[in-house]
Amino acid sequence: MLKDRNITLTVPAMPEYVDLVRLTLYGIASKMKFTFEDIEDMKVAVSEACNNAVLHAYDKDDGTIEVRFAFVKDELSITVRDYGSSFTIEENKETPAMHGKSIDEIQSGGLGLYLMQALMDRVEVEHGGGTAVTLTKKRQRTEEPA
Amino acid sequence: MDENKLTLRTENRDDQTIVFVGGEFDLEVASRIRSALEPLIEMTDRRLTLNLQDLKYIDSTGIGILISVVKARHSRNAPFDVEQIPSHIRKLFEMTGISPFLKSDSPL
Repeated sequence: MLKDRNITLTVPAMPEYVDLVRLTLYGIASKMKFTFEDIEDMKVAVSEACNNAVLHAYDKDDGTIEVRFAFVKDELSITVRDYGSSFTIEENKETPAMHGKSIDEIQSGGLGLYLMQALMDRVEVEHGGGTAVTLTKKRQRTEEPA
Repeated sequence: MDENKLTLRTENRDDQTIVFVGGEFDLEVASRIRSALEPLIEMTDRRLTLNLQDLKYIDSTGIGILISVVKARHSRNAPFDVEQIPSHIRKLFEMTGISPFLKSDSPL
């Protein structure tokens, strides 16, 4: 029996490979019987983490993104890691969300991290030899057939 | 994977230009969509509408482009709205707070 049931996917840090991460996540999360809604949430969050790596990690150099899926105790943790120069995910003092703002106040930046935090149960960011973002979602009990 | 491929189609009806955006609206296709919308943003005598009925996915890059279109049309005093938003995408619009800006209240 294999004890380690983790799955790792490595892709070039380029925009055209982020959909491959989404497809893999879809496969894994469906197999683990996450609800459609939770899978959609995770797709968005994981893509945002990948986008950050694509945009900020390697400047103009080639590089890779490693995505590790670990399923422990009813929780799926997805770690998106790059080996580029560490970047600080922009976290504005003001919320990037647009609730209650006027049209002149709304801005297009900073929504990535906001969405990750809103859609997942936990978001952890580590720096050191690159950036690693770990996104965790708890599986909900459902009565409906998969 | 084909249903995830970006589709862009423009339709002109009287004083309205409708852009149908289908598939995945993400970082990969952001610049394509931006350059498709740019000339339409300048057509201030026409109502500009995005129809999202076949949209499967949008990320923060896509939402960022919607914000820039909202602002550009607003500063030109020209109407812009987004119609037929699928429910899982509407959820993201609600979450980020962009929803109220996607309905134009200045009819031509």
